[in-house]
Amino acid sequence: MFFVFMFIWAFAIFAGITMVWLLAWAIRKGEFQNLRDGARMIFDDTEPIGTVTDCFPGESGKPAKVGAK
Amino acid sequence: MTTNLNQADEIRARIEADSSSRIVVSFYWGTALIWLTIATLAGLISSAKLHSPGFLGDIEWLTFGRIRPVHWDAAIYGFGGLAASGTLLWLQARLCQVQLPFKHWLIAGGTIFNLGMLCGVVSVLAGYSTGVETLEFPVWAMTMLVIPYVIIVVANFTMYARKKTKHTYVSQWYLMAVTVWFPVLVLSAEACINFGAVDGVAQAIANWWYGHNVVGLFATPAGIAAAYYLIPKVIGKPIHSYHLSLLGFWTNAIFYNWAGTHHLTGGPLPAWTITIGVVGSMMMFIPVITIGINHHMTMVGSFHLLRTSPTLRFAVMGSMMYTVSSFQGSLEALRSHQEVTHFTHYTIGHVHLGMYGFFAPLMFAMMYYAMPRLMRQEWSSARLIRIHFWCTLIGTALYGAAMCFAGVKQGLMMNDPAIPFLKIVSFTIPFLWLRTLAGLILLAGTVAFLINFGRMLMRYKVTFADPTLFTTERNWDALLASGKEEKPA
Repeated sequence: MFFVFMFIWAFAIFAGITMVWLLAWAIRKGEFQNLRDGARMIFDDTEPIGTVTDCFPGESGKPAKVGAK
Repeated sequence: MTTNLNQADEIRARIEADSSSRIVVSFYWGTALIWLTIATLAGLISSAKLHSPGFLGDIEWLTFGRIRPVHWDAAIYGFGGLAASGTLLWLQARLCQVQLPFKHWLIAGGTIFNLGMLCGVVSVLAGYSTGVETLEFPVWAMTMLVIPYVIIVVANFTMYARKKTKHTYVSQWYLMAVTVWFPVLVLSAEACINFGAVDGVAQAIANWWYGHNVVGLFATPAGIAAAYYLIPKVIGKPIHSYHLSLLGFWTNAIFYNWAGTHHLTGGPLPAWTITIGVVGSMMMFIPVITIGINHHMTMVGSFHLLRTSPTLRFAVMGSMMYTVSSFQGSLEALRSHQEVTHFTHYTIGHVHLGMYGFFAPLMFAMMYYAMPRLMRQEWSSARLIRIHFWCTLIGTALYGAAMCFAGVKQGLMMNDPAIPFLKIVSFTIPFLWLRTLAGLILLAGTVAFLINFGRMLMRYKVTFADPTLFTTERNWDALLASGKEEKPA
Protein backbone atom coordinates (compact mmCIF):
# COMPACT_ATOMS: atom_id res chain seq x y z
CA MET A 1 0.00 0.00 0.00
CA PHE A 2 2.91 2.31 0.77
CA PHE A 3 4.10 2.05 -2.83
CA VAL A 4 0.63 2.81 -4.20
CA PHE A 5 0.51 5.94 -2.03
CA MET A 6 4.00 6.94 -3.16
CA PHE A 7 2.99 6.33 -6.76
CA ILE A 8 -0.06 8.59 -6.46
CA TRP A 9 1.91 11.41 -4.81
CA ALA A 10 4.79 11.11 -7.27
CA PHE A 11 2.37 11.10 -10.17
CA ALA A 12 0.49 14.15 -8.90
CA ILE A 13 3.70 16.11 -8.26
CA PHE A 14 5.09 15.10 -11.66
CA ALA A 15 1.88 16.18 -13.43
CA GLY A 16 1.80 19.51 -11.57
CA ILE A 17 5.45 20.33 -12.21
CA THR A 18 5.05 19.35 -15.87
CA MET A 19 2.16 21.80 -16.35
CA VAL A 20 4.06 24.67 -14.70
CA TRP A 21 7.19 23.84 -16.69
CA LEU A 22 5.13 23.68 -19.89
CA LEU A 23 3.65 27.11 -19.23
CA ALA A 24 7.10 28.59 -18.52
CA TRP A 25 8.53 26.91 -21.62
CA ALA A 26 5.71 28.28 -23.78
CA ILE A 27 6.27 31.82 -22.46
CA ARG A 28 10.05 31.57 -23.07
CA LYS A 29 9.49 30.22 -26.57
CA GLY A 30 7.23 33.15 -27.44
CA GLU A 31 4.06 31.09 -27.90
CA PHE A 32 2.01 33.93 -26.41
CA GLN A 33 3.48 36.62 -28.63
CA ASN A 34 2.31 37.60 -32.11
CA LEU A 35 -1.06 35.95 -31.52
CA ARG A 36 -2.58 37.57 -34.59
CA ASP A 37 -0.44 35.36 -36.83
CA GLY A 38 -1.09 32.41 -34.54
CA ALA A 39 -4.83 32.67 -35.13
CA ARG A 40 -4.18 32.68 -38.89
CA MET A 41 -1.95 29.59 -39.00
CA ILE A 42 -4.83 27.32 -40.09
CA PHE A 43 -5.15 29.33 -43.29
CA ASP A 44 -2.68 29.37 -46.14
CA ASP A 45 -2.41 30.46 -49.74
CA THR A 46 -4.62 27.63 -50.99
CA GLU A 47 -7.28 27.91 -48.30
CA PRO A 48 -7.02 31.62 -47.42
CA ILE A 49 -9.15 33.72 -45.11
CA GLY A 50 -12.52 34.27 -46.76
CA THR A 51 -12.68 30.80 -48.32
CA VAL A 52 -15.57 28.60 -47.20
CA THR A 53 -14.36 25.01 -47.08
CA ASP A 54 -17.45 22.90 -46.52
CA CYS A 55 -20.95 22.33 -47.87
CA PHE A 56 -23.51 19.57 -48.35
CA PRO A 57 -22.51 16.97 -50.96
CA GLY A 58 -23.91 17.60 -54.39
CA GLU A 59 -25.13 21.09 -53.65
CA SER A 60 -22.41 23.42 -54.81
CA GLY A 61 -19.81 21.50 -56.75
CA LYS A 62 -19.85 20.00 -60.16
CA PRO A 63 -20.85 16.35 -60.63
CA ALA A 64 -17.86 14.06 -60.97
CA LYS A 65 -17.19 11.91 -63.97
CA VAL A 66 -17.05 8.87 -61.74
CA GLY A 67 -20.28 6.89 -61.55
CA ALA A 68 -21.65 4.59 -58.89
CA LYS A 69 -19.47 1.60 -58.06
CA MET B 1 2.90 33.21 -42.41
CA THR B 2 3.44 30.96 -39.41
CA THR B 3 4.96 28.14 -41.38
CA ASN B 4 8.36 27.43 -42.86
CA LEU B 5 6.85 26.03 -46.08
CA ASN B 6 6.13 27.54 -49.48
CA GLN B 7 2.75 27.18 -51.18
CA ALA B 8 3.46 23.88 -52.97
CA ASP B 9 5.00 22.40 -49.84
CA GLU B 10 1.98 23.46 -47.79
CA ILE B 11 -0.38 21.62 -50.13
CA ARG B 12 1.92 18.62 -50.24
CA ALA B 13 2.18 18.60 -46.43
CA ARG B 14 -1.62 18.73 -46.07
CA ILE B 15 -2.19 15.92 -48.59
CA GLU B 16 0.51 13.80 -46.99
CA ALA B 17 -0.85 14.43 -43.48
CA ASP B 18 -4.34 13.39 -44.62
CA SER B 19 -3.10 10.37 -46.61
CA SER B 20 -0.90 9.12 -43.80
CA SER B 21 -3.73 9.20 -41.25
CA ARG B 22 -6.41 7.71 -43.55
CA ILE B 23 -6.43 4.09 -42.30
CA VAL B 24 -5.73 4.79 -38.63
CA VAL B 25 -8.26 7.60 -38.24
CA SER B 26 -10.97 5.81 -40.26
CA PHE B 27 -10.48 2.75 -38.04
CA TYR B 28 -10.74 4.79 -34.82
CA TRP B 29 -13.79 6.76 -35.98
CA GLY B 30 -15.55 3.75 -37.55
CA THR B 31 -15.26 1.69 -34.37
CA ALA B 32 -16.23 4.77 -32.30
CA LEU B 33 -19.52 4.95 -34.19
CA ILE B 34 -20.18 1.25 -33.59
CA TRP B 35 -19.70 1.84 -29.85
CA LEU B 36 -21.97 4.89 -30.02
CA THR B 37 -24.70 2.74 -31.57
CA ILE B 38 -24.23 0.10 -28.84
CA ALA B 39 -24.24 2.83 -26.17
CA THR B 40 -27.42 4.41 -27.51
CA LEU B 41 -29.16 1.02 -27.77
CA ALA B 42 -28.12 0.14 -24.20
CA GLY B 43 -29.36 3.57 -23.04
CA LEU B 44 -32.67 2.98 -24.77
CA ILE B 45 -33.15 -0.38 -23.01
CA SER B 46 -32.23 1.24 -19.65
CA SER B 47 -34.66 4.08 -20.28
CA ALA B 48 -37.53 1.74 -21.20
CA LYS B 49 -37.01 -0.22 -17.98
CA LEU B 50 -37.69 2.90 -15.91
CA HIS B 51 -41.28 3.31 -17.13
CA SER B 52 -41.90 -0.35 -18.04
CA PRO B 53 -39.98 -2.38 -15.42
CA GLY B 54 -40.99 -5.71 -16.98
CA PHE B 55 -39.33 -4.88 -20.32
CA LEU B 56 -36.68 -7.59 -20.93
CA GLY B 57 -36.97 -8.19 -17.20
CA ASP B 58 -36.35 -11.94 -17.36
CA ILE B 59 -32.94 -11.66 -19.05
CA GLU B 60 -30.36 -11.27 -16.28
CA TRP B 61 -27.72 -9.88 -18.68
CA LEU B 62 -29.99 -6.95 -19.46
CA THR B 63 -31.11 -5.97 -15.97
CA PHE B 64 -30.89 -2.25 -15.23
CA GLY B 65 -27.84 -2.60 -12.96
CA ARG B 66 -25.85 -4.11 -15.84
CA ILE B 67 -27.16 -2.46 -19.00
CA ARG B 68 -27.00 1.09 -17.62
CA PRO B 69 -23.22 0.98 -16.87
CA VAL B 70 -22.71 -0.53 -20.33
CA HIS B 71 -24.56 2.48 -21.80
CA TRP B 72 -22.30 5.00 -20.05
CA ASP B 73 -19.00 3.14 -20.46
CA ALA B 74 -19.63 2.44 -24.15
CA ALA B 75 -20.44 6.15 -24.63
CA ILE B 76 -17.54 7.68 -22.69
CA TYR B 77 -14.77 5.16 -23.48
CA GLY B 78 -15.91 3.39 -26.65
CA PHE B 79 -17.28 6.39 -28.52
CA GLY B 80 -15.58 9.20 -26.60
CA GLY B 81 -12.15 7.58 -26.38
CA LEU B 82 -11.92 6.46 -29.98
CA ALA B 83 -13.57 9.54 -31.51
CA ALA B 84 -11.32 11.87 -29.49
CA SER B 85 -8.22 9.83 -30.36
CA GLY B 86 -9.02 9.88 -34.08
CA THR B 87 -9.61 13.64 -33.86
CA LEU B 88 -6.35 14.11 -32.01
CA LEU B 89 -4.28 12.14 -34.52
CA TRP B 90 -5.76 13.75 -37.63
CA LEU B 91 -5.77 17.29 -36.32
CA GLN B 92 -2.27 17.10 -34.85
CA ALA B 93 -0.85 15.74 -38.15
CA ARG B 94 -2.58 18.55 -40.06
CA LEU B 95 -1.62 21.35 -37.70
CA CYS B 96 1.99 20.17 -37.46
CA GLN B 97 2.06 19.60 -41.25
CA VAL B 98 3.71 16.20 -40.78
CA GLN B 99 2.82 12.60 -41.54
CA LEU B 100 1.22 10.43 -38.89
CA PRO B 101 3.97 8.26 -37.35
CA PHE B 102 3.77 4.72 -35.89
CA LYS B 103 0.73 3.77 -37.98
CA HIS B 104 1.05 0.02 -37.32
CA TRP B 105 1.44 0.61 -33.60
CA LEU B 106 -1.59 2.88 -33.60
CA ILE B 107 -3.69 0.26 -35.40
CA ALA B 108 -2.50 -2.33 -32.86
CA GLY B 109 -3.35 0.12 -30.05
CA GLY B 110 -6.82 0.76 -31.47
CA THR B 111 -7.40 -3.01 -31.73
CA ILE B 112 -6.33 -3.54 -28.09
CA PHE B 113 -8.61 -0.66 -27.04
CA ASN B 114 -11.58 -2.21 -28.86
CA LEU B 115 -10.84 -5.64 -27.40
CA GLY B 116 -10.62 -4.05 -23.95
CA MET B 117 -14.00 -2.41 -24.54
CA LEU B 118 -15.51 -5.72 -25.65
CA CYS B 119 -14.09 -7.55 -22.63
CA GLY B 120 -15.26 -4.80 -20.28
CA VAL B 121 -18.79 -4.72 -21.67
CA VAL B 122 -19.16 -8.52 -21.62
CA SER B 123 -17.78 -8.61 -18.05
CA VAL B 124 -20.29 -6.02 -16.83
CA LEU B 125 -23.17 -7.76 -18.64
CA ALA B 126 -22.09 -11.07 -17.09
CA GLY B 127 -22.20 -9.53 -13.62
CA TYR B 128 -18.50 -8.89 -13.01
CA SER B 129 -18.78 -5.11 -12.60
CA THR B 130 -16.61 -3.50 -9.93
CA GLY B 131 -19.66 -1.49 -8.85
CA VAL B 132 -17.70 1.78 -8.99
CA GLU B 133 -19.42 4.31 -11.24
CA THR B 134 -17.52 5.01 -14.48
CA LEU B 135 -14.89 2.45 -13.44
CA GLU B 136 -17.20 -0.57 -13.72
CA PHE B 137 -14.87 -2.51 -16.03
CA PRO B 138 -12.54 -5.00 -14.29
CA VAL B 139 -9.04 -3.62 -13.77
CA TRP B 140 -7.53 -5.85 -16.47
CA ALA B 141 -10.06 -4.55 -19.03
CA MET B 142 -9.33 -0.93 -18.03
CA THR B 143 -5.62 -1.66 -18.46
CA MET B 144 -6.37 -2.59 -22.07
CA LEU B 145 -7.88 0.89 -22.53
CA VAL B 146 -4.88 2.68 -21.03
CA ILE B 147 -2.04 0.83 -22.83
CA PRO B 148 -2.97 2.22 -26.30
CA TYR B 149 -2.76 5.71 -24.82
CA VAL B 150 0.97 5.26 -24.37
CA ILE B 151 1.25 4.84 -28.16
CA ILE B 152 -1.08 7.79 -28.78
CA VAL B 153 0.91 10.02 -26.39
CA VAL B 154 4.19 9.07 -28.09
CA ALA B 155 2.70 9.62 -31.58
CA ASN B 156 1.20 12.94 -30.52
CA PHE B 157 4.43 14.36 -29.09
CA THR B 158 6.51 12.93 -31.93
CA MET B 159 4.38 14.88 -34.40
CA TYR B 160 4.76 17.98 -32.27
CA ALA B 161 8.54 17.57 -32.10
CA ARG B 162 8.67 17.23 -35.91
CA LYS B 163 6.28 20.10 -36.64
CA LYS B 164 7.01 22.39 -39.55
CA THR B 165 4.90 25.25 -38.22
CA LYS B 166 6.28 27.92 -35.90
CA HIS B 167 3.27 28.43 -33.66
CA THR B 168 1.30 26.07 -31.40
CA TYR B 169 -2.36 26.52 -32.34
CA VAL B 170 -4.90 26.63 -29.49
CA SER B 171 -6.39 23.26 -30.55
CA GLN B 172 -2.95 21.69 -30.15
CA TRP B 173 -2.76 22.81 -26.52
CA TYR B 174 -6.02 20.99 -25.84
CA LEU B 175 -4.97 17.90 -27.82
CA MET B 176 -1.63 17.53 -26.07
CA ALA B 177 -3.22 18.07 -22.68
CA VAL B 178 -5.90 15.44 -23.22
CA THR B 179 -3.35 12.74 -24.05
CA VAL B 180 -1.57 13.38 -20.76
CA TRP B 181 -4.62 13.91 -18.56
CA PHE B 182 -6.51 10.71 -19.45
CA PRO B 183 -3.84 8.17 -18.35
CA VAL B 184 -3.15 10.24 -15.20
CA LEU B 185 -6.86 10.21 -14.34
CA VAL B 186 -7.38 6.49 -14.91
CA LEU B 187 -4.21 5.34 -13.15
CA SER B 188 -4.78 7.57 -10.12
CA ALA B 189 -8.44 6.57 -9.75
CA GLU B 190 -7.71 2.87 -10.20
CA ALA B 191 -4.88 3.09 -7.64
CA CYS B 192 -7.15 4.81 -5.13
CA ILE B 193 -10.25 2.68 -5.60
CA ASN B 194 -9.70 -0.71 -7.21
CA PHE B 195 -6.17 -1.17 -5.76
CA GLY B 196 -7.48 -0.07 -2.38
CA ALA B 197 -5.08 2.77 -1.61
CA VAL B 198 -7.94 4.56 0.17
CA ASP B 199 -11.22 3.37 1.61
CA GLY B 200 -14.54 4.65 2.92
CA VAL B 201 -15.68 8.11 1.87
CA ALA B 202 -12.21 8.83 0.45
CA GLN B 203 -13.05 6.31 -2.28
CA ALA B 204 -16.17 8.32 -3.08
CA ILE B 205 -14.04 11.48 -3.38
CA ALA B 206 -11.62 9.68 -5.71
CA ASN B 207 -14.56 8.24 -7.65
CA TRP B 208 -16.17 11.63 -8.32
CA TRP B 209 -12.86 13.37 -8.88
CA TYR B 210 -12.41 10.82 -11.66
CA GLY B 211 -16.02 10.68 -12.86
CA HIS B 212 -16.21 14.45 -13.28
CA ASN B 213 -12.75 14.87 -14.79
CA VAL B 214 -13.10 12.08 -17.32
CA VAL B 215 -15.75 14.28 -18.93
CA GLY B 216 -14.08 17.65 -18.36
CA LEU B 217 -10.42 16.79 -18.89
CA PHE B 218 -10.86 14.09 -21.52
CA ALA B 219 -13.99 14.56 -23.64
CA THR B 220 -14.33 18.34 -23.27
CA PRO B 221 -10.80 19.33 -24.43
CA ALA B 222 -11.16 17.14 -27.52
CA GLY B 223 -14.49 18.79 -28.33
CA ILE B 224 -13.17 22.32 -27.82
CA ALA B 225 -10.08 21.55 -29.91
CA ALA B 226 -12.38 20.43 -32.73
CA ALA B 227 -14.51 23.59 -32.43
CA TYR B 228 -11.49 25.92 -32.45
CA TYR B 229 -10.28 24.33 -35.67
CA LEU B 230 -13.53 23.69 -37.51
CA ILE B 231 -15.51 26.90 -37.00
CA PRO B 232 -12.81 29.31 -38.29
CA LYS B 233 -11.65 26.86 -40.95
CA VAL B 234 -15.11 26.23 -42.43
CA ILE B 235 -16.23 29.87 -42.52
CA GLY B 236 -12.78 31.17 -43.53
CA LYS B 237 -12.45 33.58 -40.61
CA PRO B 238 -9.87 33.56 -37.78
CA ILE B 239 -10.99 33.14 -34.17
CA HIS B 240 -12.53 36.35 -32.81
CA SER B 241 -10.03 36.65 -29.94
CA TYR B 242 -7.02 34.38 -29.89
CA HIS B 243 -6.01 35.87 -26.53
CA LEU B 244 -9.28 34.68 -24.99
CA SER B 245 -8.85 31.21 -26.50
CA LEU B 246 -5.52 30.74 -24.72
CA LEU B 247 -6.91 32.19 -21.49
CA GLY B 248 -9.74 29.66 -21.82
CA PHE B 249 -7.34 26.74 -22.15
CA TRP B 250 -5.15 27.61 -19.18
CA THR B 251 -8.05 28.46 -16.87
CA ASN B 252 -9.76 25.21 -17.88
CA ALA B 253 -6.52 23.36 -17.07
CA ILE B 254 -6.22 25.03 -13.68
CA PHE B 255 -9.83 25.02 -12.43
CA TYR B 256 -11.61 21.96 -13.82
CA ASN B 257 -9.65 19.48 -11.74
CA TRP B 258 -11.10 20.92 -8.51
CA ALA B 259 -14.79 20.68 -9.39
CA GLY B 260 -15.53 16.96 -8.98
CA THR B 261 -16.47 16.87 -5.31
CA HIS B 262 -19.62 18.93 -5.92
CA HIS B 263 -21.20 15.58 -6.89
CA LEU B 264 -21.05 14.64 -3.21
CA THR B 265 -22.91 17.65 -1.78
CA GLY B 266 -24.93 16.45 1.19
CA GLY B 267 -22.72 13.40 1.61
CA PRO B 268 -20.76 12.46 4.76
CA LEU B 269 -17.67 14.45 3.78
CA PRO B 270 -15.82 17.34 5.43
CA ALA B 271 -17.52 20.57 4.34
CA TRP B 272 -14.29 21.99 2.95
CA THR B 273 -13.98 19.20 0.34
CA ILE B 274 -17.41 20.09 -1.03
CA THR B 275 -16.61 23.81 -0.85
CA ILE B 276 -13.49 23.27 -2.95
CA GLY B 277 -15.68 21.57 -5.57
CA VAL B 278 -18.16 24.47 -5.50
CA VAL B 279 -15.40 27.09 -5.81
CA GLY B 280 -13.76 25.13 -8.67
CA SER B 281 -17.13 24.97 -10.44
CA MET B 282 -17.68 28.73 -10.06
CA MET B 283 -14.20 29.45 -11.41
CA MET B 284 -15.10 27.37 -14.47
CA PHE B 285 -17.28 30.30 -15.57
CA ILE B 286 -14.05 31.96 -16.77
CA PRO B 287 -13.09 29.40 -19.45
CA VAL B 288 -16.74 28.76 -20.34
CA ILE B 289 -17.47 32.45 -20.92
CA THR B 290 -14.25 33.00 -22.90
CA ILE B 291 -14.94 29.99 -25.11
CA GLY B 292 -18.60 30.91 -25.53
CA ILE B 293 -17.79 34.52 -26.49
CA ASN B 294 -15.11 33.36 -28.91
CA HIS B 295 -17.27 30.83 -30.71
CA HIS B 296 -20.26 33.15 -30.96
CA MET B 297 -18.33 36.24 -32.06
CA THR B 298 -16.41 34.20 -34.65
CA MET B 299 -19.72 33.04 -36.11
CA VAL B 300 -21.33 36.51 -36.18
CA GLY B 301 -21.93 37.39 -39.83
CA SER B 302 -21.59 33.76 -40.96
CA PHE B 303 -24.71 32.15 -39.53
CA HIS B 304 -26.20 31.89 -43.04
CA LEU B 305 -23.59 29.20 -43.77
CA LEU B 306 -25.47 26.88 -41.39
CA ARG B 307 -27.85 26.26 -44.30
CA THR B 308 -25.12 24.91 -46.53
CA SER B 309 -22.44 23.31 -44.33
CA PRO B 310 -23.06 20.05 -42.44
CA THR B 311 -19.80 20.44 -40.52
CA LEU B 312 -20.77 23.90 -39.35
CA ARG B 313 -24.24 22.79 -38.25
CA PHE B 314 -22.82 20.16 -35.91
CA ALA B 315 -19.91 22.36 -34.77
CA VAL B 316 -22.18 25.30 -33.89
CA MET B 317 -24.71 23.05 -32.18
CA GLY B 318 -21.90 21.49 -30.11
CA SER B 319 -20.39 24.87 -29.24
CA MET B 320 -23.71 26.37 -28.16
CA MET B 321 -24.51 23.33 -26.08
CA TYR B 322 -21.06 23.58 -24.47
CA THR B 323 -21.99 27.00 -23.12
CA VAL B 324 -25.47 25.89 -22.04
CA SER B 325 -24.42 22.63 -20.37
CA SER B 326 -21.36 24.20 -18.72
CA PHE B 327 -23.39 27.07 -17.22
CA GLN B 328 -25.91 24.52 -16.06
CA GLY B 329 -23.15 22.33 -14.60
CA SER B 330 -21.52 25.16 -12.68
CA LEU B 331 -24.84 26.30 -11.21
CA GLU B 332 -25.65 22.71 -10.25
CA ALA B 333 -22.63 22.76 -7.94
CA LEU B 334 -24.26 25.36 -5.66
CA ARG B 335 -25.65 23.88 -2.45
CA SER B 336 -28.90 25.83 -2.81
CA HIS B 337 -29.36 24.42 -6.32
CA GLN B 338 -28.54 20.89 -5.20
CA GLU B 339 -31.17 21.05 -2.47
CA VAL B 340 -33.68 20.74 -5.29
CA THR B 341 -31.94 18.95 -8.16
CA HIS B 342 -29.61 16.45 -6.44
CA PHE B 343 -30.68 12.81 -6.95
CA THR B 344 -33.26 13.80 -9.57
CA HIS B 345 -33.59 13.38 -13.34
CA TYR B 346 -32.19 16.91 -13.74
CA THR B 347 -28.62 15.58 -13.43
CA ILE B 348 -29.30 12.95 -16.10
CA GLY B 349 -30.61 15.68 -18.41
CA HIS B 350 -27.44 17.72 -17.82
CA VAL B 351 -25.11 14.83 -18.61
CA HIS B 352 -26.93 14.13 -21.88
CA LEU B 353 -26.85 17.79 -22.89
CA GLY B 354 -23.08 17.58 -22.39
CA MET B 355 -22.39 14.28 -24.13
CA TYR B 356 -25.06 14.21 -26.87
CA GLY B 357 -25.48 17.96 -27.19
CA PHE B 358 -21.89 19.19 -26.94
CA PHE B 359 -19.26 16.46 -27.32
CA ALA B 360 -20.88 14.10 -29.84
CA PRO B 361 -21.91 16.81 -32.38
CA LEU B 362 -18.37 18.22 -32.36
CA MET B 363 -16.97 14.75 -33.04
CA PHE B 364 -19.57 14.33 -35.82
CA ALA B 365 -18.53 17.71 -37.24
CA MET B 366 -14.91 16.59 -37.25
CA MET B 367 -15.82 13.37 -39.06
CA TYR B 368 -18.00 15.18 -41.63
CA TYR B 369 -15.14 17.56 -42.37
CA ALA B 370 -12.22 15.16 -42.33
CA MET B 371 -13.52 11.92 -43.84
CA PRO B 372 -13.98 13.28 -47.40
CA ARG B 373 -10.45 14.64 -47.21
CA LEU B 374 -9.04 11.40 -45.82
CA MET B 375 -10.84 9.19 -48.34
CA ARG B 376 -10.77 11.76 -51.18
CA GLN B 377 -14.41 11.02 -51.73
CA GLU B 378 -17.66 12.85 -51.02
CA TRP B 379 -20.35 11.67 -48.61
CA SER B 380 -22.85 9.55 -50.54
CA SER B 381 -26.06 11.13 -49.20
CA ALA B 382 -26.92 14.68 -48.15
CA ARG B 383 -30.32 13.39 -47.00
CA LEU B 384 -28.74 11.02 -44.48
CA ILE B 385 -26.63 13.92 -43.14
CA ARG B 386 -29.76 16.03 -42.69
CA ILE B 387 -31.59 13.14 -40.98
CA HIS B 388 -28.60 12.71 -38.68
CA PHE B 389 -28.47 16.39 -37.79
CA TRP B 390 -32.16 16.87 -37.11
CA CYS B 391 -32.39 13.63 -35.12
CA THR B 392 -29.40 14.73 -33.01
CA LEU B 393 -30.83 18.21 -32.43
CA ILE B 394 -34.44 17.18 -31.76
CA GLY B 395 -33.46 14.12 -29.72
CA THR B 396 -31.09 16.10 -27.50
CA ALA B 397 -33.50 19.02 -27.06
CA LEU B 398 -36.40 16.71 -26.18
CA TYR B 399 -34.24 14.70 -23.78
CA GLY B 400 -32.78 17.78 -22.08
CA ALA B 401 -36.09 19.63 -21.77
CA ALA B 402 -38.03 16.60 -20.48
CA MET B 403 -35.43 15.52 -17.93
CA CYS B 404 -34.55 18.99 -16.65
CA PHE B 405 -38.18 20.04 -16.20
CA ALA B 406 -39.12 16.71 -14.62
CA GLY B 407 -36.02 16.85 -12.40
CA VAL B 408 -36.79 20.30 -10.95
CA LYS B 409 -40.42 19.39 -10.32
CA GLN B 410 -39.37 16.02 -8.86
CA GLY B 411 -36.90 17.76 -6.54
CA LEU B 412 -39.46 20.30 -5.33
CA MET B 413 -41.96 17.52 -4.67
CA MET B 414 -39.38 15.45 -2.79
CA ASN B 415 -38.63 18.43 -0.55
CA ASP B 416 -42.30 18.50 0.47
CA PRO B 417 -42.81 15.80 3.13
CA ALA B 418 -46.58 15.94 2.62
CA ILE B 419 -46.29 14.41 -0.88
CA PRO B 420 -46.17 10.58 -0.92
CA PHE B 421 -43.09 9.18 -2.72
CA LEU B 422 -45.22 7.02 -5.04
CA LYS B 423 -47.01 10.14 -6.28
CA ILE B 424 -43.64 11.65 -7.22
CA VAL B 425 -42.69 8.48 -9.09
CA SER B 426 -46.02 8.51 -10.95
CA PHE B 427 -45.47 12.16 -11.88
CA THR B 428 -42.16 11.36 -13.61
CA ILE B 429 -43.47 8.47 -15.75
CA PRO B 430 -44.74 10.55 -18.74
CA PHE B 431 -41.35 12.28 -18.85
CA LEU B 432 -39.58 8.92 -18.80
CA TRP B 433 -41.62 7.96 -21.88
CA LEU B 434 -40.48 11.20 -23.52
CA ARG B 435 -36.91 10.23 -22.62
CA THR B 436 -37.33 6.86 -24.39
CA LEU B 437 -38.78 8.67 -27.42
CA ALA B 438 -35.77 11.02 -27.43
CA GLY B 439 -33.45 8.00 -27.23
CA LEU B 440 -35.21 6.43 -30.22
CA ILE B 441 -34.75 9.64 -32.22
CA LEU B 442 -31.05 9.79 -31.27
CA LEU B 443 -30.63 6.13 -32.27
CA ALA B 444 -32.25 6.80 -35.66
CA GLY B 445 -29.76 9.64 -36.26
CA THR B 446 -26.82 7.50 -35.21
CA VAL B 447 -27.88 4.70 -37.57
CA ALA B 448 -28.23 7.21 -40.45
CA PHE B 449 -24.66 8.38 -39.82
CA LEU B 450 -23.39 4.82 -39.49
CA ILE B 451 -24.88 3.99 -42.91
CA ASN B 452 -23.30 7.07 -44.50
CA PHE B 453 -19.97 6.32 -42.84
CA GLY B 454 -20.06 2.67 -43.94
CA ARG B 455 -20.83 3.74 -47.51
CA MET B 456 -17.84 6.08 -47.38
CA LEU B 457 -15.51 3.29 -46.24
CA MET B 458 -16.85 0.94 -48.91
CA ARG B 459 -16.65 3.71 -51.51
CA TYR B 460 -20.30 3.12 -52.28
CA LYS B 461 -22.20 5.36 -54.69
CA VAL B 462 -19.50 7.86 -55.60
CA THR B 463 -21.68 10.41 -57.36
CA PHE B 464 -19.86 13.64 -56.52
CA ALA B 465 -16.16 14.29 -56.18
CA ASP B 466 -15.96 18.03 -55.78
CA PRO B 467 -18.71 19.63 -53.71
CA THR B 468 -17.02 19.65 -50.32
CA LEU B 469 -14.92 22.43 -51.79
CA PHE B 470 -11.71 20.49 -52.02
CA THR B 471 -9.45 23.48 -52.27
CA THR B 472 -6.45 21.29 -51.56
CA GLU B 473 -7.20 18.99 -54.48
CA ARG B 474 -8.15 21.83 -56.82
CA ASN B 475 -4.99 23.77 -56.12
CA TRP B 476 -2.90 20.69 -56.45
CA ASP B 477 -4.52 19.96 -59.79
CA ALA B 478 -3.62 23.51 -60.85
CA LEU B 479 -0.02 22.97 -59.83
CA LEU B 480 0.06 19.67 -61.67
CA ALA B 481 -1.31 21.35 -64.77
CA SER B 482 1.51 23.87 -64.59
CA GLY B 483 3.94 20.94 -64.87
CA LYS B 484 5.98 22.08 -61.84
CA GLU B 485 4.98 19.44 -59.35
CA GLU B 486 4.44 15.74 -59.03
CA LYS B 487 1.52 14.52 -56.94
CA PRO B 488 2.47 12.50 -53.86
CA ALA B 489 1.06 9.01 -53.41
